[in-house]
Amino acid sequence: MKKAIGLALAILATAIVAASAQGAPKASAVATAKGYNCSKTITLPFVTPITGGAGFLGAEQLSWAKYAVKTIAPQLHLKVKLVGGDTPVEQGPAPAQTLAQKYVGTASVLAVLGPSTSGAVAASTKTYYAAHIAHISPSATRTDLTKSVGGTLEGTPAFFRDVPGDYIQGPSDANFMINSLHVKKVVILDFQEPYSLGLAGAVDSVLKAHGVSTIRLSAPNTTTDYSAYVTKVPSDADIVFFPTQKPGDAQTFAQQLIEQGKKAHVFGGDGSNDSSQFKQPGSYVSNFAPDITGIPADAKLIAGWKKANPGKSVGSFGPPSYGAAQIVMTAIARACHAGHGHATRTAVLHSIKKVSIKNWILGGSFKWSTKSNDPLNAKFYIFQIQSDGSYKLVG
Amino acid sequence: MQNFIQYTVDGLTLGSVYALIALGYTLVYGVLKLLNFAHGDVFMVGTFVGYGVLQELGGPMNPKVPIWLLITLVTLASMAVTAGLGVVIERFAYRPLRDAPRIAPLISALGVSFFLSNSMQLLFGATPRNYDLFEYHGGSLYLRGLHIAGVTVPLLRIITIVAAFVLMVILWFLVNKTRTGKAMRATSYDREAAAMMGIDIDRVIVFTFILGSALAGAAGVMFALRVPTNVSIGFIAGLKGFIAAVVGGIGSIPGAMLGGLVLGFAESYVQGYVPNGTQWSDLYVFSGLVLLMIFRHQGLLGRPDIRKV
Amino acid sequence: MSDSTPHGFHSTGAEGPAVGQDEWVARHAERRIMQGGPLGKVEDRVRAVPWWAWLILFVGLFCLFPLVETGGYVREVAFNTVLYMLLALGLNIVVGWGGLLDLGYVAFYGIGAYVYALLDSPHYHHHFPTIVSIVIVVIVGALAGFLLGLPSWRLTGDYLAIVTLFFLQLFQTVTTNWQHVTGGPFGILNVDPFGLDKHHQLATQHNGVFAVSYLYVALGIFVLVYVALRMVNNSRTGRAWRSLREDPLAAEAMGMPVNWLKLLSFASGAAVAALTGSLYAALYGNVFPLTFYFVTLITIYTMVILGGSGNQAGVVLGALIVSPLLEVLRDSGKSRIMFFVALVAGLALFSRRSPRIAIVAAATLVFGFVVHAICSAINGSWVAGEHHGGFAGFVDHWVVAPDQMARWIAPASYVGVICIALVVALLSGWKRLALLVPTLYLAAFVWENVMLSKPEPARYIVLGVILIVLMILRPNGLLGERRVEIV
Repeated sequence: MKKAIGLALAILATAIVAASAQGAPKASAVATAKGYNCSKTITLPFVTPITGGAGFLGAEQLSWAKYAVKTIAPQLHLKVKLVGGDTPVEQGPAPAQTLAQKYVGTASVLAVLGPSTSGAVAASTKTYYAAHIAHISPSATRTDLTKSVGGTLEGTPAFFRDVPGDYIQGPSDANFMINSLHVKKVVILDFQEPYSLGLAGAVDSVLKAHGVSTIRLSAPNTTTDYSAYVTKVPSDADIVFFPTQKPGDAQTFAQQLIEQGKKAHVFGGDGSNDSSQFKQPGSYVSNFAPDITGIPADAKLIAGWKKANPGKSVGSFGPPSYGAAQIVMTAIARACHAGHGHATRTAVLHSIKKVSIKNWILGGSFKWSTKSNDPLNAKFYIFQIQSDGSYKLVG
Repeated sequence: MQNFIQYTVDGLTLGSVYALIALGYTLVYGVLKLLNFAHGDVFMVGTFVGYGVLQELGGPMNPKVPIWLLITLVTLASMAVTAGLGVVIERFAYRPLRDAPRIAPLISALGVSFFLSNSMQLLFGATPRNYDLFEYHGGSLYLRGLHIAGVTVPLLRIITIVAAFVLMVILWFLVNKTRTGKAMRATSYDREAAAMMGIDIDRVIVFTFILGSALAGAAGVMFALRVPTNVSIGFIAGLKGFIAAVVGGIGSIPGAMLGGLVLGFAESYVQGYVPNGTQWSDLYVFSGLVLLMIFRHQGLLGRPDIRKV
Repeated sequence: MSDSTPHGFHSTGAEGPAVGQDEWVARHAERRIMQGGPLGKVEDRVRAVPWWAWLILFVGLFCLFPLVETGGYVREVAFNTVLYMLLALGLNIVVGWGGLLDLGYVAFYGIGAYVYALLDSPHYHHHFPTIVSIVIVVIVGALAGFLLGLPSWRLTGDYLAIVTLFFLQLFQTVTTNWQHVTGGPFGILNVDPFGLDKHHQLATQHNGVFAVSYLYVALGIFVLVYVALRMVNNSRTGRAWRSLREDPLAAEAMGMPVNWLKLLSFASGAAVAALTGSLYAALYGNVFPLTFYFVTLITIYTMVILGGSGNQAGVVLGALIVSPLLEVLRDSGKSRIMFFVALVAGLALFSRRSPRIAIVAAATLVFGFVVHAICSAINGSWVAGEHHGGFAGFVDHWVVAPDQMARWIAPASYVGVICIALVVALLSGWKRLALLVPTLYLAAFVWENVMLSKPEPARYIVLGVILIVLMILRPNGLLGERRVEIV
């Protein structure tokens, strides 16, 4: 058996060496002053949870980004290859760091899409910034990534997002509750992970400031049975604000509320936005994008996407990814043009802020805010779920 | 008072599911002295099988058969598949390690658990699956039920509790009143002596795994009828079933049932009545368990281990 | 002297063996070596090399590695591998030397990382010098290990495993919920890197690229820990641990302070893990709860088991194999190469006579080409899938890779290949070889179409399979010793 071990070890060692030697990026070419040759294929990584509990998010975002690359890159005379970088939520933000290192070392990467989760952004943004790689997230909404909260700013100047942050979502949701729903008592339930904690806190403070009585509950990330939480909801509470990233859990919560005879409705954040899973009539959802199927200018785009993805329905996380890819590719094209066929990462980084898009996929036109790396005049849209399960815009 | 009844009902429902999972652990431990880490993932597979069968039978909105038959068929299908899965796992991952040091099948079980949960994720993706029977017949399962002191106990919870109870009674009958059950008990006392008495150990062990895994499958369906399932629930469900089995005394069947109920109630009451209980319920429950294990490691109804030298 | 009779002994002659020594016995080692042929002689020479020579060689090669590979990513993978080597060494103390199944090991890793982060970050505005922080981290780790080991006074074997598992879950719950102290799910960010003092910090990156100096720091710590543990293993404590592992009851009867030994092994393992945690936190600059959970635990266990628990060099080897393997499996081209190499290696290992491998391999190749041809004849889109990376050309013509797969194909083929593989394991003789051919082809199909599309779960499936197969076929791993437990 010892010879067998020797054989095995030898083969394994050879294999590892062979595997790592083949296709290893020669990273010494990263920081040439002249820049990357734009006529060669540009790698566009998309750091998003492709597998794991939030895998549906990553899958949707990837499909829209792929469509964007397919349709827009040829128009801009760019050869772009989209690669997915998987950051399953069960493993926390740590995988994002390894992926960041990988992309920093790949010379053909000029900018990055994502990371999609706020925690992953916090973990990897410094690496990207140090390497002058711009990264646009279509869904990381935590406030302190672009705006300093309590003196700390977790983001860097290289981080952008094309959707508004929680500092807009929180107050907008809270104000809707106060002004349109006239709430007196609200239960706020967070999920012990960065996204929901930030949003819950934002809503809580606005509600409290307006004299609404709030009850704060906290559920572990792995909870599936909310019976005990539902029992704690007072029978006179109006709304349960539940910014979960699992729409199915929002649905379960809403059903259990009815089961126990409570009159409160569930109000979900943008993470609960999925009409196939969260469809309890009377509930509310807030989202950073209107339903783009209602925007006439997008009809052709939607038809094209549907053809490329048969059997799938248009969600809410996908279109901002399309938009982010559009912005990135436009910026790269601009940098290539200014650099006469060569683009450096720094050039791409600088040109992102100058991009504005006329027929923005989420409606209207897209411009960056001058004060932060967020979109200008972005707002959140609030939907109410109708009795047939459809989402109707109410605020 | 109303809240108390609600918490009690919650605890009972949770506890029934935990008890079923714990029974699977206890059965296997009694016979093999092996902590089957893969059990939680077998439970998870059961939930998915149930989902698949439900879709085949028309889904929650247009079921082709009456609701009673629907739930029964789904449960039976899940039990059958998980029993088969349990047998395969035993045959290929545990049987070769029957005489190896105790650590070996434990690590193999860890490997199987990992393998199962990631395989399910590979094949079926991580989207949660919801049985979604809420709307059926105007929510009959969820909104109708017994009324106790102002609290409606939904039909679904009653079904869960009753079904779990029925299964436990059947199990008790199988273990105590049949010959194979007797063989099982003999094997759990002393495997070598049982073999010398002419009991076919392999068949007994296979029978044990069939029983245990089938119960896990049933628990899976009971669980998934009320909450959505996904590929990652195996670990936590297994851990909770573990706790239940150990609290009750691992190796003891009434202990597993009792342990499951105790755990369900403990979780429910801690979440309900302890301040900040919802956040820290895990901490309290686990710490309580560790203390219990230190001071009475055979659990509530278990036998103390006597090691012969 | 000639080979004498087995029972004689020579009592005269300055050249002969000494009085009372049996020459046949004395020549036993020589005979064994000569039986092995030339390979046996080499093996013997290899065994005679002292352990520190191996260590120097290994570390030397590792130090030269960054000169070959200048990419930041690969160097960071190397750093991660060194981290895993340290963790494996620590787990080896508890599992390999002490014989205690510690399922809460990564909690100590996390404790080390968090304590370092609390001591050296803006979270509490402490910025202790690195040396002080590391010492505190190691002490806290050892204390935590000690505390976790306390239940072992009264619990054995399986019960201890459960309690350690609960400890892991407890750690997870506490770090996720105790936001004031641990930052909750947000984690602790902006942890200071190592440095002599505030003004001489060792930068963790240059323009985003991993700073190779950290690799050297990690290697240095690794050497220290390895040598220290080696000395402990060869001391009385090491021998006491071995006796505890082999038979706790007998050890106790012999007067070993069994309980203290258990505590010591827990504490030592925890101290090593905590040290590694501080290294992790210093480089990556942030700590999150989910990094220190079940997945990492299983990974470290795979390394220890693969390498051979109880053998220090073995667990280092295990880490060296598994860690880059996991990284390589992220990329589909390299995964494909790994798969085919593993296939060939597996065939070679499990066939005792070479003609059989050749026959099976050739048959599989032919089978594959035939099936591919048939499928492309039936329907062109069945083989139209794209391949990138290693062996793409070969795979294009050999594996059936549809452009778009019907949804039922993935689960069906996956379950199918597992079933056939299990049946193959049950059969023997020519039936086994015959069935092996379609099995191998189906496995290639599944790998290509099902697993490469989702590298994350595929990586961990590989780990799970390695664990199971190892325990069944070779529980002592690569370099470990076969143990027999007396119950």
